[in-house]
Amino acid sequence: MPAAATTVAAGLATGPGSRVTRFAKSTAASVTPVRPGKTHTLSPLDNAMERHTVHVVLYCRAAPGLDREQLKESLSEVLSLYPAMTGRLTRREGGEGAPADGEPSQRGWVVKCNDAGVRMVDARAAATLDEWLATATGDEEMDLLYYEPMGPEPYIWSPFYVQLTEFADKSYALGLSCTHIHNDPTAAALFFQAWAAAHRRTTSTYPPFLHAPAFEVSPPSLPPPPPLLAEKSSAASPASADAAAMSSATFHFPAPAVRALLSSLEPGTTPFAALAALFWLRVTGAANGERELTLALDFRKRMYAPLPWGYYGSVVHFTRARADLAAGLPAVAAALDAHVAGVPEEDLWRAVEWLYARQQQPEGGAAGPFQMYGPELTCVALDHVPMYGAEFEAGAPPARVSCRVGGAAGEGLVIVLPAAEGGEARDVVVTLPAEATARVCRDGEVLRHGAQVVFGTKAGKEA
Amino acid sequence: MNSPPPLPAGNGTGLLKAVYRRVVDNFLAVVTVPLAAAALVAVARFGPEELTGRLLREARPVHLFLAAFLPAAAATVYLMLRPRAVYLVDYACFRTASNCRVPFSTFLEHAKQVPVLNERSVRFMTKLLERSGLGEETCLPPAHHYIPPYKYCTLDAARGEVDLVVFGALDDLFAKTGISPGAIDILVVNCSLFCPTPSFVDMIINRYKLRSDVRSMHLSGMGCSAGLISVGLARNLLQVAPRGTHALVVSTETITPNYYVGSERAMLLPNCLFRIGGAAALLSNSPSRARFRLKHVVRTLTGAQDSAYTCVFQQEDDYGNVGINLNKDLMTIAGNALKANITAIGPLVLPASEQLLFALSFIARRVLSGGFRPYIPDFRTAFEHFCIHAGGRAVIDELQRSLGLSDEQVEASRMALHRFGNTSSSSLWYELAYIEAKGRMRKGDRVWMIGFGSGFKCNSAAWECIVPAATAEGPWATAIHRYPVDIPDVLKH
Repeated sequence: MPAAATTVAAGLATGPGSRVTRFAKSTAASVTPVRPGKTHTLSPLDNAMERHTVHVVLYCRAAPGLDREQLKESLSEVLSLYPAMTGRLTRREGGEGAPADGEPSQRGWVVKCNDAGVRMVDARAAATLDEWLATATGDEEMDLLYYEPMGPEPYIWSPFYVQLTEFADKSYALGLSCTHIHNDPTAAALFFQAWAAAHRRTTSTYPPFLHAPAFEVSPPSLPPPPPLLAEKSSAASPASADAAAMSSATFHFPAPAVRALLSSLEPGTTPFAALAALFWLRVTGAANGERELTLALDFRKRMYAPLPWGYYGSVVHFTRARADLAAGLPAVAAALDAHVAGVPEEDLWRAVEWLYARQQQPEGGAAGPFQMYGPELTCVALDHVPMYGAEFEAGAPPARVSCRVGGAAGEGLVIVLPAAEGGEARDVVVTLPAEATARVCRDGEVLRHGAQVVFGTKAGKEA
Repeated sequence: MNSPPPLPAGNGTGLLKAVYRRVVDNFLAVVTVPLAAAALVAVARFGPEELTGRLLREARPVHLFLAAFLPAAAATVYLMLRPRAVYLVDYACFRTASNCRVPFSTFLEHAKQVPVLNERSVRFMTKLLERSGLGEETCLPPAHHYIPPYKYCTLDAARGEVDLVVFGALDDLFAKTGISPGAIDILVVNCSLFCPTPSFVDMIINRYKLRSDVRSMHLSGMGCSAGLISVGLARNLLQVAPRGTHALVVSTETITPNYYVGSERAMLLPNCLFRIGGAAALLSNSPSRARFRLKHVVRTLTGAQDSAYTCVFQQEDDYGNVGINLNKDLMTIAGNALKANITAIGPLVLPASEQLLFALSFIARRVLSGGFRPYIPDFRTAFEHFCIHAGGRAVIDELQRSLGLSDEQVEASRMALHRFGNTSSSSLWYELAYIEAKGRMRKGDRVWMIGFGSGFKCNSAAWECIVPAATAEGPWATAIHRYPVDIPDVLKH
């Protein structure tokens, strides 16, 4: 609403030379008040993700029904369905008095659904959508997102930030940033679906499922730690000074390119395995022999009692796949596929039990949150998530959807997303140490398989 | 005309009181009926032919002519010089947009992020809001949703709020009444704290293309009771205008430019309580399609006393921030202003029985020096519905106590405060809309609107219903089924 960017609050400002100007910060409240006293307990898996943030950017082309005021109205309407999003985090210390509503009094984060709303940032970009998609770098894309880390007072800190950026041709970029404690990338992407459905005045195919006891476990005593998580928790947290600066790039693989790639591999290879193997080989470079790759899998539909798509929370399971890099791309891809297909649900439950027991220990250095994504190279499989179903105008899917996970310092992250054209086409977002990203962007192998660098690095922008 | 309260069962004094009321209120009938009966009996005894014969014999033509002409002439002169009755055709209130809603937690979070407000001020505002009687659905204008709000409270934003509120209410009103903007002859707008150039009336004229000879006025600075002042002004103009004149009265308060950016506690109250709202009413001096009749407008100004003059005062705090200072003895002054207003309106609306009792008690207190308590007239004999300015919980409590009203009679005020907050001069119209949306209004019901405002002013208007509302359309349409709600003393949030 305020047109002039006269005074910009500290923290809102983008870097010098940026094409995006953020000019106002406000709070969007839901339409219907929340019943007072409502709380949402976070699962042990949610609590473990404290170090990470989720960022999703949705690009919508200009349309008559798409303007700032109407988007804000539909946001308020959809927030009525997500009382946990408009709440605030408080810590429950456990063992304090009688449990409120029969829940076991356990330690951990609890969302007090006090109806406070989500933060909204209004911004403007000095480019048209097509110009932006053609020329923006991966790091510039972060200007379309806004996030404030938790300060000393969690009770007045909003876990969600929505940035509405208007391009010169009235297209919009909707940037959602949130703490991973609340949502994993799947849940964040499906929130956009719900928002788009509310904008079109209909209901979403994936309504939110806020059910805290989905991951309720009660292990009798401290269970044995799963090896991968034990290693992560005991890894010395890297000081930000010596961690290499990370940068991101996005590669687009059109459907024919992916089909060509798959045809050169063993039959039955999934696009995720093929692309994960490709990038694993190219990022690790000339290393040979048996290596391990961490995969982050969305377990919603892989459980015996599958969770609905709209499950609100994190269902990310980390597992380690092993393959011999010298055996070539087809073998590595096949090894990844075999591993992914064979991950038992038991592993996930062991991880949840161990995280829960660890969480119940009194506050202290040993039991604090640790980095889950990384520090080793991690591939995140998100290409099964229906991200392009968020149609703000009927029949007009988003031009592009981007996803980032923050807090993954170290060797980096490779996220495989679906692409706008659907089918086998894929987008791959890599967040690696800066020089590794620059190297991969120019990598001949990757480009030979038909990749188009969409959001590259500052140095090189060859398509 | 009068509907006395129902007979209480099994109570000796109650029965006596009811009989007394019926006798005194209909005193004229009680006296004339026996006299007329005696006259009829006398005529019957004399015989009708003898009586008329005597009359015709003794009367001369001049006498007959005068006997016919004089009463007719007197009646005609009386009817022509009587001021025209003023009617309310319909009214519409601004329907708040649901995404302008400000829950408590959001309000307090924003307050904590404003650097000027310190811990103490935020605690004070929290306590105030908890006990204020406001609910979770009150709305603030879009500019107040930004962090920090005062940077975005520009002149344009204020005009935007006026567009939203005033034009919203007027669009609703024109749709409801079917009147075309070109038929408006008089336009009165009141908005106390925002006075742009060109004024509100010019904005309305520009937007709706009103005629060039519309008699328009903008009342600014008149406080929260200005709604009834506008109605009174429109009434004065309608009373001397030709039949069929239409007057548009718009009451609103623009709160965008009035965010107090300081930490003086007495001046933080308006920030906490004032909310966005506005109403438009169409008045006319012809009874066609009218829904209410305006019977009295009584205005009482107590500004001659210093304490009343300074109790709601706009001033700068120690740091130069402008805000409205509410004095601690506001309730006492409001009570006094109310007493003065009741004394003025009482004789106009109370039935003869109550006035007699009040006069007797007044005389008794003067003559006999015993400790007689002053008799508070029972205004439930004069009115069926009460719309008390929703200035805050304390105001409504104070009025309920001093007028001896039941919870049901102040329900409209309390619920309007809960749902809409303090919308200043338009709160009376929201309360009337509540009563109608609840279906409690009947033909012949009398409504008392009481407004309070800076000055210190207490204004009253008495209306009588001709046609109640047919539907619950209006600001309460989406919420009325949830009301009345129980408002706790201290809200948990």
